[in-house]
Amino acid sequence: MPLSLSYLVKRVAWSITVIVGVVVLSYLIIILSPGDPAVKWAGHPRGPGAAKAVEQARKELGLDQPLHTQILNFLRMVFTGDLGLSIAYRQPVYDVLWRNLAATLELLLVAYAIGVPLGSFLGVFAALRRGKRVDGVLQAIGTVFANTPTFWLGLAIFMALLPSGFTAYGRVNVSLALSTGFYTITGLYLLDALLQLNFPVFVDALVRLLPPALAVAAYPVGVCLRIGRTLMADALLEEYVRAAAAWGVKRRTIVWRYAFRAALPGLVQVSGLAFAYSLVDAMVVEYVFGREGLGRLLYDAVSVNDFRLAIGLLVIVAAFYLIVNTLADIAQALIDPRVRL
Amino acid sequence: MRRGVLLAGIVAAVVAAAVLAYFFVYLPSQQRGKIKVVVYAYLDRITGIDPSIEDDTGIPVIGVVYETLVRYDPATGDVVPVLAESWEHSEDGTLWTLRLRRGVVFHDGTPFNSTAVKLSIERAKGIYEKFGRGSGYIWSSVEEVEIVDEYTVNIRLSYPTRLDLMAAAIYSAYIFSPSALAKAGVDSPLDPELESWFNQGNDAGSGPYYIEYYSPESEVRLRKFEKWWGWSLVNNPDAPDVVVIKIMTDPLSQYNGLLAEEVHIASSVPRANVGDLASRGFKVLNVTLFHNYLLLFNIRRYPTNITSFRLAVIHAIPWEELVQVALRGFGRVGKGLIPHGFPGYDERLAYKYDLTLAREYLQESGVPKGTTIEFVYQGEYEENEAFAQLLKSRLAEIGITVELKPLPWIAVKDAGKAVWEDADRAPHLIISDWWPTIPSPYEFLALLHSTNTEWNWAGYNNAEFDELLDKAYELEGEDYELALQLYARAQKMVFDEGVAVNLWDEVRPFVVSSRVDLPEDALNPLYIYVIRFELVKVRD
Repeated sequence: MPLSLSYLVKRVAWSITVIVGVVVLSYLIIILSPGDPAVKWAGHPRGPGAAKAVEQARKELGLDQPLHTQILNFLRMVFTGDLGLSIAYRQPVYDVLWRNLAATLELLLVAYAIGVPLGSFLGVFAALRRGKRVDGVLQAIGTVFANTPTFWLGLAIFMALLPSGFTAYGRVNVSLALSTGFYTITGLYLLDALLQLNFPVFVDALVRLLPPALAVAAYPVGVCLRIGRTLMADALLEEYVRAAAAWGVKRRTIVWRYAFRAALPGLVQVSGLAFAYSLVDAMVVEYVFGREGLGRLLYDAVSVNDFRLAIGLLVIVAAFYLIVNTLADIAQALIDPRVRL
Repeated sequence: MRRGVLLAGIVAAVVAAAVLAYFFVYLPSQQRGKIKVVVYAYLDRITGIDPSIEDDTGIPVIGVVYETLVRYDPATGDVVPVLAESWEHSEDGTLWTLRLRRGVVFHDGTPFNSTAVKLSIERAKGIYEKFGRGSGYIWSSVEEVEIVDEYTVNIRLSYPTRLDLMAAAIYSAYIFSPSALAKAGVDSPLDPELESWFNQGNDAGSGPYYIEYYSPESEVRLRKFEKWWGWSLVNNPDAPDVVVIKIMTDPLSQYNGLLAEEVHIASSVPRANVGDLASRGFKVLNVTLFHNYLLLFNIRRYPTNITSFRLAVIHAIPWEELVQVALRGFGRVGKGLIPHGFPGYDERLAYKYDLTLAREYLQESGVPKGTTIEFVYQGEYEENEAFAQLLKSRLAEIGITVELKPLPWIAVKDAGKAVWEDADRAPHLIISDWWPTIPSPYEFLALLHSTNTEWNWAGYNNAEFDELLDKAYELEGEDYELALQLYARAQKMVFDEGVAVNLWDEVRPFVVSSRVDLPEDALNPLYIYVIRFELVKVRD
């Protein structure tokens, strides 16, 4: 077994430390920045009794306590899983988060499902033709894709599609969803439509999802292409690969079973690291395509000092990032017998 | 090789299935359109939908789901019946009798009657008095709401006021069903659990639409209430079956939504894109709102404590250029403190752009050239930024340097309030955008009342002004004309002193898809952002 208990314990301890750090830093940044969350909690009162309402709100939010008490109380809320009501929306924080997390996850997963295999395949393709013109072109494409601002790319795709009459705005056509009786179960529209066997909504949700997903996929395509090409090119020069060729092993077997397998752990590691960037990209692209999601939610939460919602969201993003990278490490250990965790 | 053929076959089958699904499932389904849907893009997240408390961004929902007793008519300056059919008051103006509309039901089927009116008024008033929240102060003169019979109520006031105008307020004047208490599991209307119940997306209104889905950060879906009493009166078979209020906090996103035909009415596209949308066949309805942008001078800090210095600044404002260039025409030059068409508006209270006069005032003030003043404004508004740049350039011409400080709204408020604690810490100039709760001049003029330390960011403290305002407010129910005269005197006083000026009244372009007819009557300058969807027509 390449996985040890001490690795898991260390990883969990490290994750808790990271989350405590995220909470404390975020809390300080939001609370010490200009503006008073109590004003929002009181509903921006405008009448003569506004001061009284704000004072009451400050007590309800615990903002009348010393700063260290506030932070400890907030940490307790985070680790007991009850962040209370959002200051901006007066709804349970986790309800608001889940509604939006599902939208972002759907976009991110589809983008990754496109980006990672495509980038990896192109990387292998380029490595097999290293030194030729097609290799240079693909490497250039990889560099461009990995460095293109996703917001700009999303906007370009959106505007390019407009003249065709093909709309990629929002998550689903409202009239279609209503007329076919579509309702949300998990918040992942593709899955929900499939569960309800609602094919019109499935197709509609898919065609709206693909353009923003392509924009988000640009980064993993670029990164996997460039890293995949390098790893694969190195693997192809290994002695065991050359020996296999000398023994007359089929080229396809050499490429995919020997060389690619050697490149795979590195690719998995890079994909895990790229995940955080893609999450941020997804949060940005949502804006362009009029989709709800964590990006809009975070921006709105910070702009009104809704520290409960903003920090809840950051904790989820941090936890997500930690989980994905842990999974990437574990996958690497399972794939590569040289790695022991 | 065989595996390659198999793989190619699978890919071909998937592509063929996708193409077939697109043409035979997706495209026909797009043509269905059985339900008339209107998507309304709205700029702000919904902060709450409690009809007695919410006095912020939940109004576009509350204004459609709930009804008031009367509605303000900007054309006549008077009110028109809604849930109250008629009303009369005693000679001294302290007893009002309201006769209520019969045959009205709330969305849950319970009948509307006097009990609902009594409960709604007492809750809004009680919450304000106990917690300071909401705008229940509009009912502060109410001593008692007495149920005469099922459809008649007597409202006794402690002093005469225009109760009809109060009942037309944009906030805290909505009537809800008493059944809400049982549904929320509370005994007292002041129980905070009732507010939580409302904010979970529950409604207890009687309006033409009810809440079907509530997600305050992204969208609110409203469904046509077939039992609404007014459908026979509006006679609009093309009214939308479903209204989606979509929260789009980015103006560019609203613009994209219109282009993609996924948004039918947009409240806040970038001003620069309105012309482009008009040229693409979108209709633009420009509405002058009772929402203005006031420039307040810190009169407790040098040099804005000097009247002639303030007048120098005011005369350096290029009023016409401000509206035509900086606001791209989406504004009207401000006069006095009160916006166009609102009770108490005075066309004569206008300043002129005159740099020569500004220099004379500056010289008279004794403030040396090269003096720097701070200007705080809300940075999120493109109009504020445009004005700030314009003012900075003009004041530079007369030798005054302006340090611009764009801040988020809540920070602007903190900076403004500081004038009462430490005037030297508060900025010299600050912009406050304001809109009224009730149709009374008091709403705008009270911004400079000395007791209003929350919003009086000028730090103005003038006993004569306060007295005029208080007297006028008390006279509204007794002698409205005389009250207006006193308001006019108070307004002239601050105009002459240059304590605060109305820079512009907002003209908001509502951009509408060709699929939808949005009549002018559906928008009311008092009820900002509320659309009367019962008057909207959706084309097939």
